[in-house]
Amino acid sequence: MKKALLLMFLVLAVGMTVQAQSRMVNGKVISSEDRSGIPGVNVLVRGTSSGTVTDLDGSFSVNVPQGATELTISFVGFSTKNVTIGNRDFVDVTLDPDVATLGEVVVVGYGAQSKKTVTGAISSVSGEQLLNVPVQSFDQALQGKVAGVNIVTPNGVLNNRPVIRVRGVNSLSLSSYPLIVVDGVPTYTGDLSGNSAANNPLANINPADIQSVEILKDASATAIYGSRASNGVILVTTKRGQEGASRITYDSWVGVTEPVRLFDLLNAEEYMTIKNEARRNAGQDDAFFPYLDANGNVVDTNWYNEVMRKGLGQSHNLGITGGNARTNYYFSTGYTSQEGMIKGNDFERMTGRLNIDHKVFDRFKVGATMNYTNTVNRAPNTGSLPGQGFNTSGLGRIPLISAPNVPVFLPDGSYNITPNNQLGQGNNLVQSGFVNPAPILDLNRMSSVNNHLMGSVYGDVEIIEGLNFRSTYGIDRLTVEDQTFYTSLHGDGFGSGGLAANTFRTLNRWNLQNTLNYGTSFGENIDFNFLVGNEQQYTQDERWGAQRTVIADSFFESYQGNFTTIVPTGNIQSENYLVSFFSRANFNFYNKFLVSLNARRDGYSAFAAGNKFGNFYGGSLGYIMSEESFWKNSSISRTVNYFRLRTSYGLVGNNGVGNFASSGLYGTGLYGSDPTILYSQPSNPALAWETSKKTDHGINFGALGDRIEGEITWYHNLVDGLILPVPQAPSKGVPGGVMTGSGSIDTNIGSMVNKGIEMAITYKAISRPNFKWDVSFNFSTLRNEVLSLEAEGSQILSATAGLETVNITKVGESVGSLYVVETRGVNPDNGRRIFVKRGPAGEEILVQYDHLGTRWTTLDGQPTTQPTQNADGIIMGPTIPTWFGGIDNTFRFKNFDVGVFIQYSGGNYIYNGTKAGLRDMRFWNNHRDVLDRWTPENPNGSIPRVVYTDNISNGSAFPISENVEKGDFLRVRNLSLGYTLPSHVTQRMRISNARFYGQVQNAFLLTKYSGSDPEISTNGNTPSAAGVDRNSLGQARVYTFGVNIGI
Amino acid sequence: MKNIIQVLLVGGLLFASSCNEDLLSPIPPTTFSEAVVFDTPERIQQTLNGLYSTMINGQFYGGRYQVYNDIRAEEFSNRTTNGVTGLATWQHTVVSTTNEVENLWSIAYLTINRANIFIDGVSKTTGILEAETAQNYIAQARFIRGLSYFALLQLYAQPYTSNNGASPGLPLRLTPELDNANNDMPRASVAEVYAQIISDLNFAETNLALSNGSPYTNTTRAHRNTAIALKTRVYMAMGQYGNVITEANKIVSATAPFTAASGVGHALQDEILDVFSPPYTTTESILSAPFTELALPGTQNGLGSYYNPGPRGIGDYSLNMTGGIFTNPAFSAANDARSAWMIANTNGFTYLNKFPRGPQHLDFAPILRYSEVLLNLAEALVRDGGDQSRALALLNAVRTRSNENGAYTGISGQALIDAILTERRIEFIGEGLRSFDLLRTGQDIPGKENVGSVAKGSANYIWPMSANELLFNKAMTPNN
Repeated sequence: MKKALLLMFLVLAVGMTVQAQSRMVNGKVISSEDRSGIPGVNVLVRGTSSGTVTDLDGSFSVNVPQGATELTISFVGFSTKNVTIGNRDFVDVTLDPDVATLGEVVVVGYGAQSKKTVTGAISSVSGEQLLNVPVQSFDQALQGKVAGVNIVTPNGVLNNRPVIRVRGVNSLSLSSYPLIVVDGVPTYTGDLSGNSAANNPLANINPADIQSVEILKDASATAIYGSRASNGVILVTTKRGQEGASRITYDSWVGVTEPVRLFDLLNAEEYMTIKNEARRNAGQDDAFFPYLDANGNVVDTNWYNEVMRKGLGQSHNLGITGGNARTNYYFSTGYTSQEGMIKGNDFERMTGRLNIDHKVFDRFKVGATMNYTNTVNRAPNTGSLPGQGFNTSGLGRIPLISAPNVPVFLPDGSYNITPNNQLGQGNNLVQSGFVNPAPILDLNRMSSVNNHLMGSVYGDVEIIEGLNFRSTYGIDRLTVEDQTFYTSLHGDGFGSGGLAANTFRTLNRWNLQNTLNYGTSFGENIDFNFLVGNEQQYTQDERWGAQRTVIADSFFESYQGNFTTIVPTGNIQSENYLVSFFSRANFNFYNKFLVSLNARRDGYSAFAAGNKFGNFYGGSLGYIMSEESFWKNSSISRTVNYFRLRTSYGLVGNNGVGNFASSGLYGTGLYGSDPTILYSQPSNPALAWETSKKTDHGINFGALGDRIEGEITWYHNLVDGLILPVPQAPSKGVPGGVMTGSGSIDTNIGSMVNKGIEMAITYKAISRPNFKWDVSFNFSTLRNEVLSLEAEGSQILSATAGLETVNITKVGESVGSLYVVETRGVNPDNGRRIFVKRGPAGEEILVQYDHLGTRWTTLDGQPTTQPTQNADGIIMGPTIPTWFGGIDNTFRFKNFDVGVFIQYSGGNYIYNGTKAGLRDMRFWNNHRDVLDRWTPENPNGSIPRVVYTDNISNGSAFPISENVEKGDFLRVRNLSLGYTLPSHVTQRMRISNARFYGQVQNAFLLTKYSGSDPEISTNGNTPSAAGVDRNSLGQARVYTFGVNIGI
Repeated sequence: MKNIIQVLLVGGLLFASSCNEDLLSPIPPTTFSEAVVFDTPERIQQTLNGLYSTMINGQFYGGRYQVYNDIRAEEFSNRTTNGVTGLATWQHTVVSTTNEVENLWSIAYLTINRANIFIDGVSKTTGILEAETAQNYIAQARFIRGLSYFALLQLYAQPYTSNNGASPGLPLRLTPELDNANNDMPRASVAEVYAQIISDLNFAETNLALSNGSPYTNTTRAHRNTAIALKTRVYMAMGQYGNVITEANKIVSATAPFTAASGVGHALQDEILDVFSPPYTTTESILSAPFTELALPGTQNGLGSYYNPGPRGIGDYSLNMTGGIFTNPAFSAANDARSAWMIANTNGFTYLNKFPRGPQHLDFAPILRYSEVLLNLAEALVRDGGDQSRALALLNAVRTRSNENGAYTGISGQALIDAILTERRIEFIGEGLRSFDLLRTGQDIPGKENVGSVAKGSANYIWPMSANELLFNKAMTPNN
């Protein structure tokens, strides 16, 4: 009642002051802790609608109507203060940290909690850190920001999903990707595109809408998500309105993307020299000859120029937020379009969001979030997505293999192509390329378009003091339309006589959550909070489509044109359902002892009866030692003002199996024109969750009055009951699909451990009025070891793009280590590559290879058999970085700010398969390093004697240790320079703040890795096949210029 | 009190209908549960169709099996240096991890396991099929199993004729494999595997229908004469020429025109090109793999994909015009109807034009033809001391059908055998018999272009064993 009166008074006051006279009052808000200005603070003239927000140094300027006497100053984490204005024109305000909430609030599963009482391992990234980064999805922008979270950008294709590993690889066969929960509703992850246009649905969330991202890492924090928590949980919270004056933000950038670190390839003359020498060494005549253009010049094509470009990009976001005592709103709209460095690779997104909260009665709140996104992804066949590594028309590969001495276009202007779907060979006598990229880029197109509606409504009733019932109903409806068109002229559509394929996918999810939350205090010193809830989630996945081939006429460029055949393609009809009961109890004794207990029971439809339900739990203890009097009374408290010990343990799961994973199934097809039924999946009634037992011990501290804040954590994840696709002897004929043999049977049998230390420190190093330096630093280590597989000595081999087997997972090794035949350079006597075979007792036997000649011989010339991985291979690893982190520096000098964000990673090995291709002695073009090949005159050459068609000496036929390299790197991920307009200028412009900046994304890279990028992952997110570089395009550099304006 | 009621109400709301049992046990809408596939005659029929479709998968008898057996030999030149389309097989550099070595092994054994599951499933049904139909179905499954084992022997085992089948053969899997058990199984000897094939085919001969009812079904499904015809090939591989003669005589008349007297009336067609034209169902085609727009052999699998130049195919292989059969004096380009199988291309190479449809490869892939039965019989007659004049007549029936004036006269003994083998090269080019003929007759594999010849008995005379089989079947032994 009191509040209702107050509201009435406010409304009246607003009405009364409309016509009144007013004056400007300036001021500054600083923190009592470090005396520095606080940006973003709400300043409201009490009893009016007039207000503003402080700028970066805490200054504000507000219009005070006549008769108003007080300012209300409020900010999250600080106590709200009312200040009398009096006659002053300048008001200094000092805000005190809100002791009641002990600082910032972090979002946790099904709720929020004060940062200083959270005992689970949770890292938080603010929306500000994601706002200006020129990427497509927010997860890309988390790179290097969070301790214990390793994020790799696997290639330079736009909106290709990053590889995210929260505390290591936590599964072998299922996804190791974390659960992503947006405003309480789990959303879709993965590449949803059926063609080459990568489509990470997380890009459907506008990064500018994000208030904060929380990463839950240990069992205590994640157990409330039970069977989906094994890979960690990422909670995305979007912005909501705050009580106060309406505020408008406008954030915009324009930018240029360019390729970096392209390979130094042979030019036409060098190419002809090397290849003809190889022909002669193979006992064949020269076959490579110059081709003259119309002007009589020797053609020297740089195929990169045909494939790469400088791309332009832009982004605009408009946000309007505000609210009163009863209703808060956040409304935003955004648009971005980005061109990738690869021709034809574009990304475009339009978003609209409305988040609203309304207090119907004092004890009854309702609210809604509503987001609609339209995203267009377009890409050619970049050869860079998982499974594409060996595509002959992959654009990552074409520039590397195509002969430089043939032209792109013939003198008559037509494409230089053969009737056999090859690059025209000019005056060469043999094949000179796979395909010509020019017609492919001109005529083929692929797109993947999303229409994504994410939304939820909630109602929250306070039944009795402290007891709230909350019901949330969320929907997540995503449609994906994929379109593919391949010309019949050349490339991938040639074999089909032209091809068009369209598919339409609908992902429909509803999620219903009901929770009861009771918080109370027992006396002064014991706080208690108890949560119990039920969640149901149903997801339906349907896709249908058709493929048309043999185009009637080159006039047609779409599926709707005329073709002679049509077949169904891409059909999916599937569903899953998850039902859960969960509970959490938090205790806080004397603000010193903290206890959190979590439990969840999940039932999941994919498992067989009897195995549908599983129980998960997690608990943690915290002890704030700095609250003890002995601490407060000791001299150490003057330096270390906050010190807490915490420990947690729990058991969580991974349910990422196929929707019908446990059923024995028969697929269907056709024999001629008759229908077929085919045994396609063995039944598997015993299949169950993978479980992960996570242990954490850590300390949190604050020093120098919280100028230094940090945490150090030791973690240990024991993943057991790993689902292994236990390989079956191919002769058993167990199906691997409807038409593939060599199947495996999923069995909960393996175990694996991830352990390490993570550390995160923020330090306000310098806080002078005119100069500030903030630095945050994080560092993590990770050691992965496979503890058991289905049988002693068994191993899992993983192939790259289904062809080249490089990764091995074996007990005692790190997951997906490299499995190669050892090589020992080049024999100076004859220029042959030396390989190491293993004798019966494991002893080394050096052998050499002479292509087309004596083939495999020992060094003294005796014939021998070829080395193989299985008999002679060595294991090199790990492929996942063992240490990584980031350093983020922000310098502020007067109105200028400089940001330097460095990301580093290392301790891992990469199989540089691209190098094997770059040294292949078929017609393929080579890296310039082959100029240092062995010849009688150059007996110490680093490259074996070149012999035409030799695909063995340099690793194309089977992987060799020559191509294994270390993956250590340090990257200046982001470099920025900003200028904030001084407040007297912004006042004149009647805006609250404005900042202009320029930045370079991916500015510098320090690495000894010889491939295009040490962050590469040709096999994408596949847990057991990391660390492979096969013809993938590396990352681009992006220059942007932008503006952030607040009104 | 009011508060307590409120709490109870809300608590009830929270947990009422909080779990939906139906949603928790969904039934897949587009696949069959293993529990129901043998429930109706229609589903059993479709499951049998599934055996055929597995066998004629593009990785197997739908294309690649034939391709590998041709490109190992000397008739073709590789044009695309593409490791995915048999380069290693062509240049004899296959290793145990080469894709074709692993893939063909897998698909053949998938066919075998599906056949075993089908045989087991049909045997256990009661009252769904008539007894005769059930036996017929089992016979078709055993035929498919025998044909699959036969294919594996040709690539992964030493020829029977080199030592009467004493070499290591294949794991002989004859019962369903549905779970994690039984990974380890040693190789039976080559002779033991052949014995099983003969047993399957004898059962098939006894229980298959005399005719399946239509030209299409007689070409695409096994009937009695299909089993007999396959036995002639199997006994040729075993060098048991007396048995070849016995089997062949069941379906070859004593004198020209040679036809099958019982069952499907197999006969040579007057025009060879008719055999390879739609609808591909003449009585000369004893067994072929059918394809439709909805059931194609798959990318880089169809015979036409390998042998047709663009835009009808990818043109991975052109005819070897220096040492290939079309440069042999026994072939008269001017007078032989089979010269239509050569097509000159703009790139200067000559390609095989036997499976010309493209870019969709709808030509049926031939698996077994009556002309082979005739030449099998002819060769067996000479080698077994039989009627050489009948052998000559059989050879000339095949030869003069395409080359009217090309009849051989007055040859016998080794010269006749050589003439038959040469005729087989012309007649069956692209049908996957060349490597088979070289190996069963114990010849070296001739070289081509810059690829050397492979001597009988050398390590790459046959394919190595699949690496995955060696890894996961602990009882498996490598080939070299």
